[in-house]
Amino acid sequence: MVGEAREAHASLERHAETQTGVKPWSPSRGSLFLLAAPLLLLALFFLFPLIWVFAQSFSSPRGLADTYVRIATDPALRYPLFYTFQTAAIVTFCALVLSYPVAFLISRAQGRWLAIGMVLVLVPFWTSAVIRSYAWLVLLQRRGVVNEALLALGFIDRPLRLANTDIGTHIAMAQIMLPFMILPLLSAMRGIDPSVMRAAAILGANPFRQFVSVYLPLSMPGVGAGCVLVFISTLGFYITPALLGSSSPMIAVAIEQQVSRLLDWPQASALASVLLVLTCLLFMLYERLNRRLAGAGEAR
Amino acid sequence: MNRTAVTPFWRMASVGLVAFSCLVLVYLVLPTLVVIPLSFSSDTFLRFPPSGFSTRWYESFAASQDYQLAIINSVKIGVPSAMVATVFGVMASLAVVRGAVPFRRTLAALIIAPLILPQIVLAIGLFPLMAKAGIVGTYPGIVLAHAVVTMPLVFITVSAALRNYAPTYELAAMTLGAGPWKTFFYVTFPMIRPGVIVGFIFAFAFSFDELILAMFLTSPTTRTVPRLLWEQLNFQMTPVIAAATVVLLGATLALLALAAIAGTHARRRAASNGGTAA
Repeated sequence: MVGEAREAHASLERHAETQTGVKPWSPSRGSLFLLAAPLLLLALFFLFPLIWVFAQSFSSPRGLADTYVRIATDPALRYPLFYTFQTAAIVTFCALVLSYPVAFLISRAQGRWLAIGMVLVLVPFWTSAVIRSYAWLVLLQRRGVVNEALLALGFIDRPLRLANTDIGTHIAMAQIMLPFMILPLLSAMRGIDPSVMRAAAILGANPFRQFVSVYLPLSMPGVGAGCVLVFISTLGFYITPALLGSSSPMIAVAIEQQVSRLLDWPQASALASVLLVLTCLLFMLYERLNRRLAGAGEAR
Repeated sequence: MNRTAVTPFWRMASVGLVAFSCLVLVYLVLPTLVVIPLSFSSDTFLRFPPSGFSTRWYESFAASQDYQLAIINSVKIGVPSAMVATVFGVMASLAVVRGAVPFRRTLAALIIAPLILPQIVLAIGLFPLMAKAGIVGTYPGIVLAHAVVTMPLVFITVSAALRNYAPTYELAAMTLGAGPWKTFFYVTFPMIRPGVIVGFIFAFAFSFDELILAMFLTSPTTRTVPRLLWEQLNFQMTPVIAAATVVLLGATLALLALAAIAGTHARRRAASNGGTAA
């Protein structure tokens, strides 16, 4: 549609030019000028700082690549990297398992139920992460809501230790990440034609078989996009792990500690560079998945 | 759907699916709601359920100079950064969606990147540079940092608005002799206005919530609400934080509702234009 319009415009342009001798303005000519200001902002306050971080990681007084050697050898620096990956994998898995049925039901809902479902997903999405982490601290404390409820119901005899543990942090992070999983899943599931499931049913597939052989493969682009999005966001998670705490710091917390407590900017920059490269690689994967998702949508 | 295939077993499975989803939704929403009863607590520490009802924490919130200053700061930072993000985001999306630029996809990815990248990486890159330029702790420093991070939100919403209608409207205006400015103000802008408004609201809400850049780039005099909350959380845990949280939550939800209204307006407009645009 856009291509046709451009062609039509080009022919009109030629026509106008032969009539008046003056080339009419066209959007293609102004576009580089339009891009100049945003690109300058990005160059100065995004690309330049990132290059700076990378350069600074080699400026350690102990030697050129010392910071990276220490990441590779010092367990106190290496473990946060490993732990961050482990946490990101756990949170992504939990978020996917919890989100899939919810996204499925919302994608099938209509009218009022659809509106309620969307509000329930979007309100937490737009609630500040500081506020939600604080709420989780309240919930998971020794005398917090979860412990009090479990005690009152008689499931436990004494309060569980939930805050400042891996489990508590994972529970909170998974909750904060849920909307980032549900929204891409929803956009993929809304594009699935319900008649393909009906076709599978007519061909004799039971609901389980319909799901595994038909619905799940069709929803895979959404699963992929959601997983990469949640994984990337969890890699850089700072607020919740810093507030709720756990046995080992996440990489973002480790970077902040290097800077504010140890004042070791080169070491912090090296950790940040590792995080930057990993995020870039995953972002490229996300872009590819997203393009496939968009492509599938256009093909229909 | 297919009545013959729905045996009691599968009916039970679907009931289980709905029940599981409801539990997940409770898990999703509960943490936001639990703050509300706490904010009306009469206790001096966080306890659940609260032993009595009082509005004393709201009173101390309203009386707090720190919170007043932080809210003013957050607005003083959020509005200009959202404005910069909106102007630049609209320019970028016009160029990428309508213009004939090379490397369109790479450019779009580059413009969206600041939203995806962990803010801590950008923060430790911006801090030394802004310190050299002498703008750490000033409004321009944090405004520019937030503008870069929120520009993708405007870019995404405005690009979607631009893709919603065919470029023939603009082409018609231009072949009738309208210049670029006239075309933009009389044709393009009225069409994308809801997208621009939603983008602005998202950008403002993001800036209002952002903690990590604010932690590095603001000073005690330019401290924003999230930074104040964060400092209070690490220092003392009184229900005044819960009261502040509820007030902020109300403000965020009001903004979200505004954005939703603007979005619905856009969809209705698109629907009424649908016949001619397609």
